Amino acid sequence: MEQLLEILSPHFLLKNSLYAGLIVGFVCPQVGIFFVLRRMVLLGIALPQVSNAGITFAFLLHTVGFHFLPHMESEKFMALTGSVFFTLVAIFILAILERRRKGFTENRIGFTYAIAGAASILFVSWNPHGQTEVLSLLKGEIVSVPDIYLWLMLAIYGTIFICLVGFHRSFVVVSYDADMATTIGKRVILWDVLLYLIIGVVISFGVMTVGPLVIFGFLLIPAITARMITRGILPFCIVSSIIGVVASFLGFYISYCYDLPTGPTDVVLLSAILLFSFLGKMVFTWISKVNQ
Amino acid sequence: MITNNCITLKDVAIGYSRRLLLTDINFSLKAGEFTVLFGPNGCGKTTLFKTILRIIPPIQGTITYGGDSYPRFGYVPQRQTLDEIYPFTAEEVVFMGTFGQSKPFCPATSAIRIWIEQCLKDVGMLEARKQLFSELSGGQRQRILIARALATKPDILVLDEPVTGVDILAQRMIMELITLLHKKRELTIVMVTHQIHSIPKWIDKLIWINNNKMMIGSSLDILAPLIAEEASPQGTLWH
Repeated sequence: MEQLLEILSPHFLLKNSLYAGLIVGFVCPQVGIFFVLRRMVLLGIALPQVSNAGITFAFLLHTVGFHFLPHMESEKFMALTGSVFFTLVAIFILAILERRRKGFTENRIGFTYAIAGAASILFVSWNPHGQTEVLSLLKGEIVSVPDIYLWLMLAIYGTIFICLVGFHRSFVVVSYDADMATTIGKRVILWDVLLYLIIGVVISFGVMTVGPLVIFGFLLIPAITARMITRGILPFCIVSSIIGVVASFLGFYISYCYDLPTGPTDVVLLSAILLFSFLGKMVFTWISKVNQ
Repeated sequence: MITNNCITLKDVAIGYSRRLLLTDINFSLKAGEFTVLFGPNGCGKTTLFKTILRIIPPIQGTITYGGDSYPRFGYVPQRQTLDEIYPFTAEEVVFMGTFGQSKPFCPATSAIRIWIEQCLKDVGMLEARKQLFSELSGGQRQRILIARALATKPDILVLDEPVTGVDILAQRMIMELITLLHKKRELTIVMVTHQIHSIPKWIDKLIWINNNKMMIGSSLDILAPLIAEEASPQGTLWH
């Protein structure tokens, strides 16, 4: 209880990490529902890995003396630029290939995952100076989140959340029935591009904050769980975010109490919620059948 | 009275990725008409249908739409093309029909809710509004998709294989519903089918597509020889 009060205190040392986790937990499932509904779950695994490759590449460039932007001194912002760039390039190439139906989707995504994973390791091995920071990112240790980065994250994730809510109908109809969307005057390509852009930015920022494993967890597991226990698109969206926020807070609390890395704790917790939801649904279905 | 041309195709060629499926397509659809596009699977009728709806651009030729503006289409797709992973209730599927007119960031008004209710009532599915779309039977889903098309307040109702894959009773109910919508509301209807028995005899126009050729006429002109061929021992044309 004492630790809980400590975490909730406005003077808590790691409060930025807690807030960053809560923002990720709240917004990522809203993007994740489109991964699940569009059957792009594998992409949800590959893209964080690509984003990670972008970060490691940026650290490598920084170490050898190259800079993306003049006067950019902060390693963190440079890594963010690398993350956003790699993710957006990958998502648009994959989307174009998907649209042109070149080869099998699974093959493309599998290849992307493998090459991004290998590239990340190579970039790290060539860059001993950035190794510590990159490894802590890979482990999902959300320890130091500077104020400016938290505010930036809040602004970007907030804007994305407002976009997702405001344009929810367009995103949904374009994803569900693109032909029908065209007949009612929706520009399908435009909405698809906007959605991919949102996905790219959410993943890039998320990976920078909590690492690829945790982002994958928050994108997919809350949406998969909510899909199982809700009826209707609105409850599905609301419950996804509730699961994300609850898991993020409890994960932080548990990791703080028992000195565990926060990211993996969050993912295990999300998985436990998924498992219990599945078992609960099975029991509920069984009881309903017996009562009939 | 049927007078106005609402869609006119002139020297149109259709296909995918420069692969021609049909050429020299010339016909008009008049307001208030019931037109059926009929032919075997893979003959290009859905491609023609999607070209008219501007989902696929024509490879050549022009399509003009009568009236001051582009007509509002109420589109009923083949229900098998819709993924069951989406957790929509029947009501939410119908609600989608209003998305063309709704503004971003604005919640659904009570007028829209009443309109959705009316559309559900029109197709006899008001009781099933809270049920998951994926849990409905094939015939019920088809009626919900018709309700969604009606929710767009269409000038033209377009249906792609509306009775394929549903049982005989459901087929009859769907055809009765479409007939009622055409006669009572005087809706212009374009229906695609490959099933000869689903074509009502009283339709205004039948467009028959087979072996890269088109024939346009009344249902009696075209169907009588086809039915005779179907009844013959070699009659495997539509299977």
